[in-house]
Amino acid sequence: MRLAAFIQFSAPSFGVMALLLALPLLYAIYLSLIQCTDVLELVTVRLQTPFGIEELTTQRAKVGVDGLPEQFCKFVWLDQYLSVLSSEFAKALQFTMLYVLVTVPLVIIGGLILALAVNQLPVGIRGFAIGAAILPFIVTPLVGALSVKWLFRDDGLVTQLVSAFGMQIYWMAQAWSARLLVILYGIWHSLPFAFIVLFAGLQSVPKDALEAASLDGASTTQKLWYVTLPHLGPLVTFILLIHTMDSYKLFEPVVVLTQGTFTESVQFVTYSILLDEGNPFKASAAAILTTIGIGVLLIPMLRRAVREHKEGAA
Amino acid sequence: MTAGLDRARRGTLLGLTAGMAAPFGWAACPADVRGRVDILSNAFPAMSHLAAAAEQCKSSQGRISVKLTPTARQETEQGFAMRSRCPFDAAIVSMSVFSDLYARGQLSPMTDLYRPLAGELEQNQMVRVDDQLMALAFMSNTQILFYRKDLLERSGLRPPHDCDELLMAAAALKRDHGLRYPIAQTFAKGWDCATEFTNLFVSLGGRFFKRGSAEPNFQGEHGHHAIEIMRAQMRFMSPNALSSNSDDVMNQLQQGRAALGVLWASRAARMDEPTASRVVGRIEFAAAPSAIPRGPTAAHLWWDGFVMPRRSKAPREMTFSVLRYLLDPTHVQSGNDLAIWTHSSFRPGRFGSGVALAKAAGAATWPTEPFFGIAHSELGQWIPEALAGEVQPAVALQRAADSYTRLAKERGFLRA
Repeated sequence: MRLAAFIQFSAPSFGVMALLLALPLLYAIYLSLIQCTDVLELVTVRLQTPFGIEELTTQRAKVGVDGLPEQFCKFVWLDQYLSVLSSEFAKALQFTMLYVLVTVPLVIIGGLILALAVNQLPVGIRGFAIGAAILPFIVTPLVGALSVKWLFRDDGLVTQLVSAFGMQIYWMAQAWSARLLVILYGIWHSLPFAFIVLFAGLQSVPKDALEAASLDGASTTQKLWYVTLPHLGPLVTFILLIHTMDSYKLFEPVVVLTQGTFTESVQFVTYSILLDEGNPFKASAAAILTTIGIGVLLIPMLRRAVREHKEGAA
Repeated sequence: MTAGLDRARRGTLLGLTAGMAAPFGWAACPADVRGRVDILSNAFPAMSHLAAAAEQCKSSQGRISVKLTPTARQETEQGFAMRSRCPFDAAIVSMSVFSDLYARGQLSPMTDLYRPLAGELEQNQMVRVDDQLMALAFMSNTQILFYRKDLLERSGLRPPHDCDELLMAAAALKRDHGLRYPIAQTFAKGWDCATEFTNLFVSLGGRFFKRGSAEPNFQGEHGHHAIEIMRAQMRFMSPNALSSNSDDVMNQLQQGRAALGVLWASRAARMDEPTASRVVGRIEFAAAPSAIPRGPTAAHLWWDGFVMPRRSKAPREMTFSVLRYLLDPTHVQSGNDLAIWTHSSFRPGRFGSGVALAKAAGAATWPTEPFFGIAHSELGQWIPEALAGEVQPAVALQRAADSYTRLAKERGFLRA
């Protein structure tokens, strides 16, 4: 293909990517390197509210001729990053990594087992089983997390069932159970994605290879190990990539189930910095650190995917 | 001339619409709404009522759109801070958000709009800074004690006036009625926990900042005492307390699993909702217990009201006309039990006495310093660590103070 034709074909998609991905990322990097503060003045005001009148001395932003608060901005270079790293971010990163490392393998293994089980079902009830299995993935994360919270709170169904066996667990009361709850939610919510991808993969396992293995006397386990799983390998890599990215962005179950108690995630900390501290500059630094974290996690998987692609091409 | 006739015709049509709507409790729609007026608000019953009133005024000429969202605070702060025109022409904010927006110079005074209508609005509805009308308050709120009257009476107890009495009542309810966790409080990490701390801290006589400055002053004796009170209450609360928000506390009271709890007065009516409550008619209300005997109630007074951004897309006059319509006494009367309205036509019933109770018990207004939000946010992060027993109260308070100091410097409230 001529260079001019290549540019003409690829320019629109590069343009859209630059507009929607590169520019916001570059702007976030710029924001993370500066700090703007309002220019404040000390004022004494008389405040009248429905509860009475009070005089208070307070600080107020100076407003410029354009009607906007006057601001003083300066480059602080890596100060925002250091500030983020010295805050709860490190603790949040610890739990986020735990969540990723526990949920990713369990989601893949659970999804594979479920896919193999559904694949064995008679065709007549397969549709129903697939529908039921992917339900947690269809439910929006906030609604799903609320449902789980109601199951596990003081008088929730699961709490009551567990107490019937003589165990009274208050799930949000201590670190281990709060973390377990968030992890269980993550597995429940993401497992259907792995299931549906692997189930689709199982439909394309070459029948002749399986028959040949049977003729050679391979057991069911051997056929699974030597024929089916290698066939599903690229799909497993795909799930690994997607779910690692997804689980690193852990947010909704933390907000709904525990409100961050014992289970702060990097996304939750970024959200807190932006909205509670009201500092978009520091929040940008936290967001960039999150992106770097995802990148570092994905490097080995991307290298593997590229290697497999090259081997396939060869 | 034709335009004048058109206006008159439209006015008549709107008047007729209003006349038809009146039996359902809506006031006459404003005649001068052309185009769209956008209002942003948190979703709560009183605002849903006003949103329904706004919906009545939809016509081919104009529309009042009310967006009810749980993220109203964030959207308001972002919208009002925009360099271009704010996507909302007005917003409903609580007094803490008002303080932040005012301190950043992002509110449009309404004095010029109000002046020709002097007398139409009541003093109780006006929020003025110096002589400028900056907000129109339409409802107030506070935290009050919800208690099971039947159980307390059977145990021969009166509603607790202070935190010591609250603990004694909780012990008696546990002993006499087998209630495992008689107290329910909103101690969830973050905003809820910090708000409970603020209530107790101020009731103890604490001042959050050194006089005339933004330097923190909450890490001393009063701060320790407030955390100790919270820890003492936790002995009678569900171990899940650090993730209990207002919905959870309300649920515990409605299901009869708790018998004492400090909660928003605006939630009082929900105790008698037959579809959600097992204790209909058995919950009564009193001022929140004071932190110390004979001290002021451990609660604050809040108001919610309309504000306008400095740069809006709809003409200010039209937006103000819409706000006047929404504040019409007809809407107060038709939604009397949905809120504690500021207008004099409000008739407090069984569920509407919360603010009066708190006022009588000496409740203060919520702190208005623009840097208080930062302190509140940091306290909400660190106090739960002390309540969970992970660190000592002194350590948690010092960490909150250090963190606050760093952030206040970043925002320019303290010198770096």
